[in-house]
Amino acid sequence: MDQNSLHRVGNKALGIVHGIGLFLAMLVICLPGIWIVLSSLRPTVEIMAKPPVWIPQQLSLDAYVAMFSGVGQGGIPVLDYFRNSLIISVTSTVIAIVIGMAGGYAFARYRFRAKSAMFLGLMLTRTVPGIALSLPLFFVFARLGIIDTHFGLILVYVALNVPFTVWLIDGFFRQVPKDLAEAAQIDGCTRWQAFWQVEFPLAGPGIASAGIFAFLTSWNEFALASQLTRSINSKTLPVGLLDYTAEFTIDWRGMCALAVVMVIPALTLTFIVQKHLVGGLTSGAVKG
Amino acid sequence: MKGWRPSPPLLLLLPAVIVLAAVVVVPLLLSLYSSFTPFRLTRPETFWVFIGARNYVTILTSRAFWVAFARTVVLLTVALNLEMLIGLGLALLVEKASRGQRILRTIMMFPMMFSPILVGFQFKFMFNDNIGLVNNALQGLGLTDRAIPWLIDGNLAFIAILIAEIWSSTSVFAILILAGLLAMPREPVEAARVDGCTPWQTFRYVTWPFIMPFAFIAMTIRSLDVARAYDIVKIMTDGGPAGRTELVWTLVARTAYSDARMGMANAMAYFSILLSILFTVYFYRKLAAARTQIAAEW
Repeated sequence: MDQNSLHRVGNKALGIVHGIGLFLAMLVICLPGIWIVLSSLRPTVEIMAKPPVWIPQQLSLDAYVAMFSGVGQGGIPVLDYFRNSLIISVTSTVIAIVIGMAGGYAFARYRFRAKSAMFLGLMLTRTVPGIALSLPLFFVFARLGIIDTHFGLILVYVALNVPFTVWLIDGFFRQVPKDLAEAAQIDGCTRWQAFWQVEFPLAGPGIASAGIFAFLTSWNEFALASQLTRSINSKTLPVGLLDYTAEFTIDWRGMCALAVVMVIPALTLTFIVQKHLVGGLTSGAVKG
Repeated sequence: MKGWRPSPPLLLLLPAVIVLAAVVVVPLLLSLYSSFTPFRLTRPETFWVFIGARNYVTILTSRAFWVAFARTVVLLTVALNLEMLIGLGLALLVEKASRGQRILRTIMMFPMMFSPILVGFQFKFMFNDNIGLVNNALQGLGLTDRAIPWLIDGNLAFIAILIAEIWSSTSVFAILILAGLLAMPREPVEAARVDGCTPWQTFRYVTWPFIMPFAFIAMTIRSLDVARAYDIVKIMTDGGPAGRTELVWTLVARTAYSDARMGMANAMAYFSILLSILFTVYFYRKLAAARTQIAAEW
């Protein structure tokens, strides 16, 4: 064999190895999710079967029907949790975006004293572990009487999301050339007008993805919500998930169904923003 | 003061500062104070008793605390390093793929959409000794004929938690490193090849320095959120069995809410906050250094 064809065989082998590696990696990533979806559709008997039943014999939507048909049948008030989650996540996201836009704009467009210290300071408030923060908040909220209310949790989630939205939005504003707003101002716009008519539309998609990121954080948060909520007044889905665990038994199928319900909105939203998200994280404040 | 106007950036940052002060800084000051009291939720009057640093002395001499603290540091160190390595491997694999890049990238982001609590639950399910996927598969393949007690044995539970943690967070690294790879200009790599570099040398001296800042961005983002491991552990083992997977965070939660010893828990919480801050500042520094090093190209 001459060197040329040897090389070709080698390349081909490498390609196959690469393909197999890629396939295995993707399998590992997807398998847990697939398993959850599958388990939510199978009867409990099959989940519990020993020896295991690998190929599902019968699929049904019973778990979902039970879940959405109210407390009586399904056991837990999923609809209430879903409503709470939605109200709290959406409201806190909107507020966090407004505050984040102001802050991000300040970081992207102005020079001021102690700028990078300020930025690090904002980020550090985000590093406080939820469980550590929940202790004083629990105490304060109990005193103020806003424990187990939407308002309390919204307030907390706004604070949780502001540092990250500032980081992201700062990055998106930096991608908009400064000259554009300056040109608009020369043409007679005020700075306020220039912002809304030139910079905001250009940074818009990025801001939207920062919003979705904030939404997901609130939607998925557990450590704080588990301590600051008590009842169906304000319990969110992640806390509700625990309702399926009794002292010694777990309703695996019900849990899987609720997991699917929780993941689907997150899945859809992340899919929409994936492109902008990476862009926002990699440019921006860290660029100095 | 008449005629004095606050500068615009100050005004713009004010709402953020107010919210964070109200929800984070002030409560933390309060908890700092209460860490010097024997405060119990059930006995409000204890809030006003000042006992100096006695809580801290108790903690620092408590073996259970140090074990949990060391376990947390080990878990974070191992998890972050492995996530970085696997993420890098994954990014390189996907970048090499000639077809289906978009769908591969979407699949790669899949674990990011799972809330940590879901990750914990799903791995609790998979590692269940009776009906879990892992044991079923091992037994089905004939590798073992007994049920491995994944979440009951202390060491195995640690490994199971580590796997859950890695599964959920590797994609952050993979995505950002991939972004770096895609943004990289082709010429330096080709030049290196022409000059006779081996693939390893090309990677080590050309590609790696370029994608390093991206890796550090991922590290910084991750370190902001290290405490999310709490959710995973809370669901999978809740610190058990008998404290063998106890992390600082689960210990804080147990001390505060089960034992109702708020003062003590707050003192512990300060150690966990310190830990998070150290991780973040460390990577933030690295990030800044990496940035200036290759500032010209990026």
